Amino acid sequence: MILSELKLHNFRNYEDLSVDFSPGVNVLIGENAQGKTNLLEAVYVLALTRSHRTANDRELIKWQAHEAALTGRVEKQGGSVPLELIFSSKGKKAKVNHLEQARLSQYVGQLNVILFAPEDLYLVKGAPALRRHFMDQEFGQMSNKYLYNSGQFRTILKQRNQYLKQLQFKQQHDRVLLQVLSDQLAAYGAEIIVARAAFLKKLEKWAQTIHETVAQHKEELTFHYVTQVKLDEPSSVEAVYQQLLDLYLNNETKEIEQGSTQYGPQRDDLRFLINQKNVQTYGSQGQQRTTALSVKLAEIDLMREQTGEYPILLLDDVLSELDDARQTHLLTAIQNKVQTFLTTTSLSGIAQQLIQTPTIFNISHGTLTKEEPQ
Amino acid sequence: MQYPEPIAQLIESYMKLPGIGSKTATRLAFYTISMENDDVTNFAKALIAAKRDLHFCSICGNITEEDPCIICKDQSRDQSTILVVEESKDIMSMEKMKEYHGLYHVLHGVLSPIEGTGPEDINIAALLTRLQQHDNVKEVIVATNASSEGEATAMYLSRLIKPAGIKVTRLAHGLSVGADIDYADEMTLFKAVEGRTEI
Ligand SMILES: Nc1ncnc2c1ncn2[C@@H]1O[C@H](COP(=O)(O)OP(=O)(O)O)[C@@H](O)[C@H]1O
Ligand SMILES: [Mg+2]
Ligand SMILES: [Zn+2]
Repeated sequence: MILSELKLHNFRNYEDLSVDFSPGVNVLIGENAQGKTNLLEAVYVLALTRSHRTANDRELIKWQAHEAALTGRVEKQGGSVPLELIFSSKGKKAKVNHLEQARLSQYVGQLNVILFAPEDLYLVKGAPALRRHFMDQEFGQMSNKYLYNSGQFRTILKQRNQYLKQLQFKQQHDRVLLQVLSDQLAAYGAEIIVARAAFLKKLEKWAQTIHETVAQHKEELTFHYVTQVKLDEPSSVEAVYQQLLDLYLNNETKEIEQGSTQYGPQRDDLRFLINQKNVQTYGSQGQQRTTALSVKLAEIDLMREQTGEYPILLLDDVLSELDDARQTHLLTAIQNKVQTFLTTTSLSGIAQQLIQTPTIFNISHGTLTKEEPQ
Repeated sequence: MQYPEPIAQLIESYMKLPGIGSKTATRLAFYTISMENDDVTNFAKALIAAKRDLHFCSICGNITEEDPCIICKDQSRDQSTILVVEESKDIMSMEKMKEYHGLYHVLHGVLSPIEGTGPEDINIAALLTRLQQHDNVKEVIVATNASSEGEATAMYLSRLIKPAGIKVTRLAHGLSVGADIDYADEMTLFKAVEGRTEI
């Protein structure tokens, strides 16, 4: 898919922006604090209805303004789809084809994006929460059912943790309600665990192929989904549900003492192995970065496998974080395949050589000027 | 500058209503001042009367002028089924449908630890007492909303009531009557398929 047009009104430091993008590589060049990341963020928000930088939508509205509007046009196999998002103090409204959508989950999935920022290079090295977030983020875009289940799971987890605290402090005493919440949590938790395992299998396959070329066939990359339950092959939701339910039932007293839920997908992790060794603990920094890069690139292929369309790729300041070999690999992997938005303060020599026909925009104080090709 | 006290008080009163913030409350307050005297008097009387003359039915929890309410008093209604709803207004909707002829029970809320609402905070104990006292009840239909709190409340009731040998059923979710499958969102369809019944 391709984002052909974008219009912003009072979004971050953009008062009024209207721009047509190229279906190839769009390079956004500018000094720091000019609005490069804000622009990528706008595309990300247009796709997912929320930002990757903040949970507070208010921050997206231009200072002193009351309402921010983002509109875009997405070209897909089925035709061209106008999207519109409006943020105000009352919340957000999402429109597809000018029709307001009752639920955001109906809107998400119209435009698929993959964002790659310097933080993502820590996907391997960072805390488990980062990898869980990564899974929820990406799989939620690919599957409405996953998005729905993880939303329900989060709500019930909050309820259950709150209830465990109330039991802990003896404000409540009824164990039946705890068991009901456990039952609900186990049902949604099982859906999430089984879906993650299945998506990871597919992602692993794509990542292996990519990693083989970067590492010149010397390394075999594998994934391991770390979870408290036993996953059979193929894993059934029913079996995982039963295991989670048993865990909750057998550890009731312990969980009440802790005042929080100790079992479930919110505790899971994802491990990356190279030649069977854990990259997080045994890998060099180079291997960790290459692995993160392979995983990110694999997402592009997985997204196409799941949705039938390539997503849009957003690269925020990553080129400067990669050495020449990895830049080369990244740029050759994406060119002529996915529409890309790439931000940088200056284009490196290697990037200039490799990007065949870049469309260059200069960004300064929230205004964009297209550089005409010489 | 401060608003004169009477209007400030009116704004504050409007803000106590659900879904009304200071902006709307201010608009309503100024509108009220511009209304005809009679209309304002009737409005104030209606507020006071509603509070004075309406009570909760001691059996089912519905709002009523007389206790027990007319539904609970009506012996021609099917005494063997009780339909459990979240709010009194849900009874109105069910009654408009004119297809249900059993009894009701109003919970006045749903179970939600985050909101501080536990089993003792909603009208559950009265339902259990009712079932103990009237062993002619054969079925309890739980018609709480499809939210996760509504579901938890339904599951909770089922766990308490089923062991007594009373059938507990849940209203089927899914497509609303007249909804076109083409326009239903995927999750609604998913729920509809999941909750399908044998015919
Ligand atoms: N809500 C907002 N309204 C107006 N300006 C904002 C808002 N949020 C951030 N900014 C401004 O945006 C700039 C940061 O833009 P950003 O895209 O992150 O920079 P960069 O070009 O370095 O990626 C800062 O100057 C900041 O003051
Ligand atoms: Mg930036
Ligand atoms: Zn009654």
